[in-house]
Amino acid sequence: MTFEIPFGPQHPALEEPINFMFEIEEERVVNVKPRLGYVHRGIEKIAENRNYQQLVYLSERICGICSFAHASCYSQVVEELLDLKIPERAKFIRTIVAEMERIQNHYLWLGLTAKEMGFETLFMYAWRDRETIIEMLDMISGKRVNYGMSTIGGVRRDITEPMIKRMEESLNHLEARAEYYTKVCTKDPSILKRTVGIGILRPREARALCAVGPTARASGIPRDVRADEPYAAYGEIPFKVVTYRGCDVASRMYVRIDEIKESIKIIRYALKNMPEGPIRVKAPMRVPEGEAISRVEAPRGENLHFLKSNGTDKPERWKIRAPTLANLLSLCRMLMGVNLADIPVVIAGIDPCIACAERIALIDAKTKRLKVWEGKDLWRYANEWYRKRYGL
Amino acid sequence: MRRSEIRKQLRIRARNIIVQRDRRFFVNIEKKDLKRAIRRLMQMKNYTHLSTITALDVGSMIEVIYHVAFTDALVSVKVQTSKDEPIIPSIVDLIPGVALYEREIHDLFGVEFEGNPDLSPLLLPDGWPEGVYPLRKWWSVDRVLSKLGGKR
Repeated sequence: MTFEIPFGPQHPALEEPINFMFEIEEERVVNVKPRLGYVHRGIEKIAENRNYQQLVYLSERICGICSFAHASCYSQVVEELLDLKIPERAKFIRTIVAEMERIQNHYLWLGLTAKEMGFETLFMYAWRDRETIIEMLDMISGKRVNYGMSTIGGVRRDITEPMIKRMEESLNHLEARAEYYTKVCTKDPSILKRTVGIGILRPREARALCAVGPTARASGIPRDVRADEPYAAYGEIPFKVVTYRGCDVASRMYVRIDEIKESIKIIRYALKNMPEGPIRVKAPMRVPEGEAISRVEAPRGENLHFLKSNGTDKPERWKIRAPTLANLLSLCRMLMGVNLADIPVVIAGIDPCIACAERIALIDAKTKRLKVWEGKDLWRYANEWYRKRYGL
Repeated sequence: MRRSEIRKQLRIRARNIIVQRDRRFFVNIEKKDLKRAIRRLMQMKNYTHLSTITALDVGSMIEVIYHVAFTDALVSVKVQTSKDEPIIPSIVDLIPGVALYEREIHDLFGVEFEGNPDLSPLLLPDGWPEGVYPLRKWWSVDRVLSKLGGKR
């Protein structure tokens, strides 16, 4: 018997809440159809009626979690059109904040994925540690989210000597915690049972479906904009592109935990080698005619902004491609053949924050009877299923 | 990557390749050559993926830009199609990963991608009036609003 299960669309943690229509046979997913657009805000249309300075603020509000990635990507594309050289120190500060955002995002992800697995202690631990990095971001920028750091021509706030001292302390703490999470996630039997071999995305499929970010890197593809097309100060900082070959949720977890460690090293290096000097240059309101593309490695993957200007103070066209859209088809591929109980963990695997998924309706294909489930119910079902089966 | 490499691979005139800066290439081609060009770019070494597809309203035409990513460059392939008959061959059979980008452009610009099996609405809500393509310049915010009954 085939069941059809609409999943979503309420999904407030993601910039685009998603509805998945699952076709289920027995307990296996046989087909998935995504549907987007429940909060399509028309930002690209709004942008045609705003000037370039206003759009810095708008770009930051595309996504709450990778706000700096979007803001710096947008700033870069306008700077390219203006032919503006930003100060070296601003480049380093952008790198530092971008990496702090990555750490923040990956801890958030680790917590949410742990929660999807029913491992609430790890959820609490990861979010407590995330607080450390958020406090550092708050100290530098004055805000916990939407930092307002990047602007056209540089950054808004400087990193001072006492800040560096405090940051070093918290980086040491975070590094020790990341080591601890590596230990937990490679040893704990309940985590291994829920993640190893679940949600497979083979390298060939990842290439064909144009996967980006940690999703691609967990399938063994070293695809990283920071290395391929160094922006900000990444060209001057040595770092490693983390890849794993497991192709499953476990690998996606290890990639992210290792990226936290790598980010900590990048921040340390950047803080030590940051040149002195101004942090921003003045940018004119009008932008000369032209086209430019800018790419940034957001915590979730490649972020692309295309901008066409027409010589006025408003853009002709501003195109944004956020990483989740690029990974959506890969997610559908991963979901094929997985067990109903594994859906939450696999969806969490690409980092779209499923924690707030709302309701589920189960339709019996034969009788057309509608069973409505809430997100909670699927979560409870998944954890009960594993408990009964494996005693976890 | 160098201009001559792209020229040799695509077998097109040099004036159709614009080098914007280091790592940035824009290639102008005809609609009928699109699939061949994308296939040939995919065969080049260092090819990684197709980043996205951008569409823009350029007066009587709609321009569609395919951003093909390499480890050492980003090649943007441009094609144009008229607004009266906006049809472009789909490349979903070459790169399955573009399915959603084509659907997005179909929604917002009304471009038909010939050969894409699923062009159902992706971003716009159910019951969206036919023929309203919000990112075309003619559809200003006021026009869209009045078409939708003046309500937000």
